[in-house]
Amino acid sequence: MSECIVVTSGKGGVGKTTTTANLGVALALLGKKVVVVDADIGLRNLDVILGLENRIVYDLVHVIEGECRLRQALIKDKRVDTLFLLPAAQTRDKNAVSPEAMRTLVAQLKADFDYVIIDCPAGIEQGFKNAIAGADRAIIVVTPEVSAIRDADRIIGLVEAAELPEPQLIVNRFRAKMVQRGDMMNKDDILEILAIPLIGMVPDHEDVIVSANRGMPAVFDEKSVVGEAYRRIARRVTGEQDVPFVALEEPDTFWSVMKRWIGLAPSKEVAS
Amino acid sequence: MSSLFDRLFSGGRSASAGSKEDAKSRLKILLVHDQVDLTPSQMNAMKAEILEVIARYCEVDREHVDVRLEKADNGISVVSSVPVRRVTTRTAEAT
Repeated sequence: MSECIVVTSGKGGVGKTTTTANLGVALALLGKKVVVVDADIGLRNLDVILGLENRIVYDLVHVIEGECRLRQALIKDKRVDTLFLLPAAQTRDKNAVSPEAMRTLVAQLKADFDYVIIDCPAGIEQGFKNAIAGADRAIIVVTPEVSAIRDADRIIGLVEAAELPEPQLIVNRFRAKMVQRGDMMNKDDILEILAIPLIGMVPDHEDVIVSANRGMPAVFDEKSVVGEAYRRIARRVTGEQDVPFVALEEPDTFWSVMKRWIGLAPSKEVAS
Repeated sequence: MSSLFDRLFSGGRSASAGSKEDAKSRLKILLVHDQVDLTPSQMNAMKAEILEVIARYCEVDREHVDVRLEKADNGISVVSSVPVRRVTTRTAEAT
């Protein structure tokens, strides 16, 4: 059975595109047939995060307007042969697409793929409405910040109003050190406020910048902690139960052990 | 004592520690207000009217009144804490 998942957040810059790319690659590495769709018309970026920007000929708007066939616009990733990208148009705007057109497009894609992952634009206007139109469920990306959580709460309401099932949450850019000293909301703080199920915790790590520089999502790097976080999210997406969350504590240092030992620092239950 | 230790070994960062509690408490209020679309002046008017009613029966400690909207299990509640100095005598009923 195939499924369409929209990755959304409300706020910009929290990691929707990075999440879409890594989740897409991770699912494909699990052997699933995956298409990632860039729904950010006019501001496409999923192509560069995936390193496929030089191969675009046709885009989503061309398909919708009948200028090409769907298969002509799909770009096959040469690193994992079950991953495809449907890029957004760069020279058009959101009004070139409608929710009805997206529903038709997603239905066509679902006939050929196990997973259709849609990278939603920031905001709650037309672009958001288009992106969620064909989705079966939503994953909401949030960073542990007041503004991102506020916007996520709004998006949760809109997703529910669109009669999608309860969305799932990815907490991105998590910093264990800040959590340990009480300067960042932890998993439980965020879940207490947003009250939706958690599907992933992704640490804040340089890997994300490096992989964006190279157009090579962190999931391809077996040693990357960010990659590992997304590989586990992918397993949870496929329905695998009880996948443990990656260890998000800082590695022990001499002083952290000493402080804990003489009772000056909290025990290490904080992070995961 | 923990802060002394932190200051010695972590460059004095502990001054900001605990700001997540600020984030949480601000968010809790923010999210409710985002939903109800009540302006601050409407909130103040509601608070004043609630107080007016209570003040007919009790002597209210106006300094420590707290009226706020909170997320409840099913929807939103108006939660108020109105400390009372003393309940006024029966004669008030006549007015």
